[in-house]
Amino acid sequence: MADDTEDVELDFADDEQERARRGAVMRHPLASFFHLFFRVVAIIVYVLCDWISKNFASCFVLIITLLSFDFWSVKNVSGRLLVGLRWWNQIDEEGRSLWVFEAKKTPSGNTGTEAEERIFWLGLIVCPLIWTFFFFTSLFDLKIKWLCLVVASISLQVANLYGYLRCKSAGQDGRPPASHSFPGQHLLQRPDIIFGIL
Amino acid sequence: MAEEASRPFAGLSDVSIPEDIPVEGDISVPVGASRRDDEYSTLDEPVKETILRDLRAVGKKFIHVLYPKRSSALLRDWDLWGPLLLCVTLALLLQGGAADSDDQGGPQFAEVFVIIWFGSIVITLNSKLLGGTISFFQSLCVLGYCIMPLTVAMAVCRIVLIGGSGTVSFAVRLVVVTASFGWSTFASTAFLADSQPPNRKALVVYPVFLFYFVIGWMILTFSPSQ
Repeated sequence: MADDTEDVELDFADDEQERARRGAVMRHPLASFFHLFFRVVAIIVYVLCDWISKNFASCFVLIITLLSFDFWSVKNVSGRLLVGLRWWNQIDEEGRSLWVFEAKKTPSGNTGTEAEERIFWLGLIVCPLIWTFFFFTSLFDLKIKWLCLVVASISLQVANLYGYLRCKSAGQDGRPPASHSFPGQHLLQRPDIIFGIL
Repeated sequence: MAEEASRPFAGLSDVSIPEDIPVEGDISVPVGASRRDDEYSTLDEPVKETILRDLRAVGKKFIHVLYPKRSSALLRDWDLWGPLLLCVTLALLLQGGAADSDDQGGPQFAEVFVIIWFGSIVITLNSKLLGGTISFFQSLCVLGYCIMPLTVAMAVCRIVLIGGSGTVSFAVRLVVVTASFGWSTFASTAFLADSQPPNRKALVVYPVFLFYFVIGWMILTFSPSQ
């Protein structure tokens, strides 16, 4: 055990860095950029696909690739850097599938600022709405090939939206799990099972 | 006094705890602490680490398909990157026969996607309805990764077709596609059949057989447009 009367060195340089971080408008500019980049480019490609290439396949592949990268980066990077939320699926020893939604209880110095939070949620909510609009336009135009693409895009985008909404509600409920909880933990977890099937 | 000082640990020779003084303490082994460090480390790890970790996981699964053996560790970390990559590759390779017109030579691009993903979903639902213990995404993962032999067969077929499309080339393609179809079915049942009770294994295996048969058929009947 550390002796209470030990001399502790005060490091003023660190404090200044911390203060600078806290005052910054954006702590993770690169993460914020990539959070929006893939989604917006995918929408632009969809709208301009006739001008980009006559070939349906190349548009399809391009959009699906962009949205897969977007899915991965929002799930693994943007969430934890910008808002301190994270969700994943794990299989325990008996082979049961468990979905875990995690939220940082006390936002540490490294999670995003308010501006970044707004960017995160705005990007997360607006893009699926745009794809839903595309769903109806392609449905009414009876463009079945494009409908298939739009359905795939919507499922990728809505998956992240749903996951992060669950994380947010896990953070607000504030119920620490019965098992493995240790005092002062900074993370709230709510293991959950979606529909009991997935 | 000098005597006492000269003998080290003199005062400790008679250390005994009188019985009327209760001795108690708290030994707390911070087992949680190391786990907490793990939590922090993956929550705060640099992005490059995350990317490399996922790439390595995908690579490991591809190797598992090459040498299929029952390993539950493979199923635990499912991911759908491999299936997506294989699906896109297969769909692109099947594309050359119908490049310009819509009706000739080969399946449409979106058709291949729909067949593969919808087929995998139906097989997964089937195995879940039969009481399988495997989860939805794990099953999609296994079925998707096991398309790899068929994708390789498709690449081989395209190469063979460059040489011509006579009887010999057809025979070669038939052998290649049949071998890879058998390999795919064998690899996926090695992973999937374990999650079923023994009298139901055939009920689970035959849709997988059909699934890879349809894909193999698409590959075998592919003919490049002239």
